[in-house]
Amino acid sequence: MALATTRRRLLTGGAALSWFLVNGSWLHISAAQARAAGFSPQTLTGEQCETLEVLADELVPGARDAGIAAFIDSQLTAGDASLLIAKYLGVPPEQQLGFYQAALDSGTRLLATQDLSAAFAIELISKDEVLNWQGAPASFFSFVLRADALDVVYGTEHGFEQLGIPYRAHISPQEPW
Amino acid sequence: MKLDTERMHSLDTIIVGAGAAGLLLAARLAETGRHVTVLEAGPKRSTSDLISSQIWARRLKWSGPHVEELGDHKVGHAFNAGFGTGGSAVHHYGVWLRLHRGDFSVASDHGLGLDWPIDYDTLRAHYDSVQSEVGLSGDAEAEIWRPEGADYPMPPLPIFAQGRVLKKGFDKTGRRTAPLPLAINSQPYRGRAACQYDGWCDAGCPIGALANPLVTWLPRAQKAGVHIEHNAFVNRVLRDPNKTSRISGIEYFQAGERHTLHAQQVIIAAFTVQSARILLSSADSNRPAPGNQFDQLGRYLTSHPAGTVFGLFDEETYPHQGVSGGQLISHDDYDQKNQGAAFGSSQWLIAHAVKPHDLLGYGTGRPDISGEKLKPWLRDAAKHVGSMTLVAEDIAKPENRISLSEQRDVNGIALARTEHNLDARTAQLWEQRIAEGQDIMRAAGAREVWHGPRVAMHIMGGTVMGNDEKLSVTDSYGRVHDTENLYVSGPSLFPSSGAVNPTFTLSAIASRQAEHLTKQAD
Repeated sequence: MALATTRRRLLTGGAALSWFLVNGSWLHISAAQARAAGFSPQTLTGEQCETLEVLADELVPGARDAGIAAFIDSQLTAGDASLLIAKYLGVPPEQQLGFYQAALDSGTRLLATQDLSAAFAIELISKDEVLNWQGAPASFFSFVLRADALDVVYGTEHGFEQLGIPYRAHISPQEPW
Repeated sequence: MKLDTERMHSLDTIIVGAGAAGLLLAARLAETGRHVTVLEAGPKRSTSDLISSQIWARRLKWSGPHVEELGDHKVGHAFNAGFGTGGSAVHHYGVWLRLHRGDFSVASDHGLGLDWPIDYDTLRAHYDSVQSEVGLSGDAEAEIWRPEGADYPMPPLPIFAQGRVLKKGFDKTGRRTAPLPLAINSQPYRGRAACQYDGWCDAGCPIGALANPLVTWLPRAQKAGVHIEHNAFVNRVLRDPNKTSRISGIEYFQAGERHTLHAQQVIIAAFTVQSARILLSSADSNRPAPGNQFDQLGRYLTSHPAGTVFGLFDEETYPHQGVSGGQLISHDDYDQKNQGAAFGSSQWLIAHAVKPHDLLGYGTGRPDISGEKLKPWLRDAAKHVGSMTLVAEDIAKPENRISLSEQRDVNGIALARTEHNLDARTAQLWEQRIAEGQDIMRAAGAREVWHGPRVAMHIMGGTVMGNDEKLSVTDSYGRVHDTENLYVSGPSLFPSSGAVNPTFTLSAIASRQAEHLTKQAD
């Protein structure tokens, strides 16, 4: 095992995931850092980002602080190189912006309903019981958003640590995003 | 780097696609003195690019022009295909199994699908030679279902806690298991390291324990002088205007510019969907596309219907430990293809190393658990979950096909389009086996059992090999029927799917092709 550990230590490197615009400067930081620093979204509106954070954090607590909005917004600028799980689920990169925008606008309208909690909103969305929902089926959007939130909260060395899983990277990702 | 004119004029062979088949052929042909150039649609990759992150690893998957997918069992091109040096084999799990004898004669035996133009014995020597070159770990004696062949060059990988727990379910229900044969080193092999069992196989194995082409065929190809041109997206093959049965070269696009390249021989090994697209795009106003004289090109597209069964145990399973492909295998039902309302072979790949997230993660598959309940559940699952995957046979049908879309990419090249629907007998097989899988999990002691959706695993067919030109696209060596010097390699040649992971078989076929092409030149 000593040999294995040495090998892992030697094989460090890799790439950070994104650049974020913060206070007029492009910074090479993690999505969580971008969120904390008040990043400027490039594809989604501020309102859409807010709705995204509310819904994602309800599905996977911690998603807001892990930078779910920064992650999705930045990946929506990546074109064919998008890392969003949506591309495996029948939403190719060129359709992803429309997919998120339509669902988040519907989510914004839903959350604006008086006294509607985020938990109840998620329940309605996951059961396809939202009137006038636009875009892909609401339950499908909920599935995709939950998977995105799992990525940013638990798909990291820090996330593994929270679950008690040894990460044991061969080559560590450079950024704990 | 652009290709220089002198090199272009001295090429013997152009290979399209730097994946498992393309690089095997490149290495073998170049080692006999041929001048070989490989064109790869994706970027250059090396083992240092293989970062241990499921999210980063998505860069290894297809990122070229979108493939339109239709049908009730879409083939999942974006997930199954690769992009860049090594192709899809860079992110494959290293599960290397031989087809069974009966897989080669499904039409003759059962009146369904197509027969292969070759039998198991034709491929046996190539299975043996490739496994020696690549390095396989396993226990041939324990695999009582395995067709005859040389013993594995390495002992099997160890069985960890998860494998021991799940094996009890198979034992109690009277089913047999064996160590899963893997193209992963259980001990150092030919200068490559042994596995560390950290479960990052599908993010790509940078230590070289898993036999992806970056550590097997690529070094040999480079040593033999093979040139690989990356980010080169091939549009079509070009017919010789003076002799239409000969292919003079290919047309490709790189950074928005059109190029042509000429050689004595062209091999298309661009993975199933893109191989068919390139041939379909090669029709002109005077002639049908190569291999499409009888409208067979693109047909008999197959994909294994797969599904993962999960169980949550009181016993600790440590599911992060091991390899992605699994620890054990069961082929007990494999040779009983005809089962009334259900049809097809099937196998269980047992005890995968899994993560909490990503498409195959245990957390992703439980959308019913969210909010405050999620983290405690994930912490429990992180130590106590077990999983196993059903891989079922698909019946090859002519109406399941690859064709060209009306839509075009930025270079004006028609996109590929796939349509794939499951036969009712295949769907029934999947339902039956998934129900049995849940029973096995309960027998193993699971306190909670669930399964994931039916998904498409592996993509095969579309340029199938055969003896009858009216029912196939190539001959048994992959030569396109109405051409002299155009070949196809890869899983697109499979006339039927069987129910085993295809990389070993496509490698054996490529080995046979290399031998044939070498003899032909002598």
